[in-house]
Amino acid sequence: MSSRVRTDGAEERFDRDQTREWFAEYATNRDPAIREELVVAHLNLVRYLAVRFGNRGESIDDLIQVGTVGLIKAIDRFDHERGVEFTTYATPTIIGEIKRHFRDKGWSVKVPRRLQELNLAVNRAVETLALELGRSVTVSDLAARLGASVEEIIESQELGQAYNVLSLDTELAAEGEARSATLLDYVGAADEALELFENKANLEAAIHVLDPRERVIVYLRFYENLSQTEIAKRLNVSQMHVSRLQARALAKLKQSLKVDEG
Amino acid sequence: MRQPVSHPQSGSIQARRVELHIPAEPEWVGVARLTAAGIASRLDFSIEDLEDLKLAVAEACNCCIQNGGDGDVSMACELQSDRITIAVERRGALSKPGARPPASGDDAELGGLGVFLIRALMDDVVYSSDQTGTRLTLIKRLGK
Repeated sequence: MSSRVRTDGAEERFDRDQTREWFAEYATNRDPAIREELVVAHLNLVRYLAVRFGNRGESIDDLIQVGTVGLIKAIDRFDHERGVEFTTYATPTIIGEIKRHFRDKGWSVKVPRRLQELNLAVNRAVETLALELGRSVTVSDLAARLGASVEEIIESQELGQAYNVLSLDTELAAEGEARSATLLDYVGAADEALELFENKANLEAAIHVLDPRERVIVYLRFYENLSQTEIAKRLNVSQMHVSRLQARALAKLKQSLKVDEG
Repeated sequence: MRQPVSHPQSGSIQARRVELHIPAEPEWVGVARLTAAGIASRLDFSIEDLEDLKLAVAEACNCCIQNGGDGDVSMACELQSDRITIAVERRGALSKPGARPPASGDDAELGGLGVFLIRALMDDVVYSSDQTGTRLTLIKRLGK
């Protein structure tokens, strides 16, 4: 995770004149050999960008691969006569392809989960390590034990709660109880909408169809498990309004998930 | 156990400002990343936006470190109800070996690949680098 290779910007300068010539030629004849040259000449750019997304849990090689797809798209679409440097043009395209890869993998559900898990792992490791070491535990101790970077340990403690997508098996701290309850224990009777939540790892993609207010309501209702009345109080609107927004949000989600499946 | 951070709703936040100074050394960039993420997470940013923000902040800090200058890198984060604005700055002349002030043409636009990357990740970016220092202003809006 900490192996973020830093490449000096100066090394990434490409021979711009050569690139311009190639593009001019490629524009006229679409010669695959020149396309190949252009791809090879810009692989460093792809690598440079891929490495920067390397701390998000996907292998650099995979990212380079999808990034290269983005590069090829950029080469094919680039209009050299518009006077824009190719690098300027290609960077967003390559990043777009890399980010699409994360989205397709349901990454924005996995990351909070990983942080949550790290958060719990830290809490456990603090006790066992303190016993082993016979002293208070440092962040470096925890990082070494859990195979994470110091930054990740701190982040999991500080932001683990803010990244509030909770597993249903998340243990909730309950003072004075022998066994800590899980979030699942607090979930009521089977609810069609909730089953949807459990079953759809790709819900994250669907959630984009909601406007921010609907998203907040879905979040508070099904992740925070607040009642409509509580949500209404928090948002300072009527319970009826929350009910309507919730119904509309769920209808949208169902529709979106159906379309995805179909 | 820590209380979960309550979920702020749009409009409920007044403009808030946090400033941070870090030594101009790569090993301090993580502190700026964490700080920015911690502040941004007070708005309802998606995980993806938060990660993008962290990456952009790291690149901005690295840009300041690489360009050279005097003293610290400063970061000022300003939180409004619908956006976060992060200004990263290092004063002083460029000192990178072989570096020249990007006076004209492509170079003024270029400023290294890091700036391209930042532009691709943020909603608005202002970049300037000259003999008085390196400055980057990054804006990320909610729900984009």
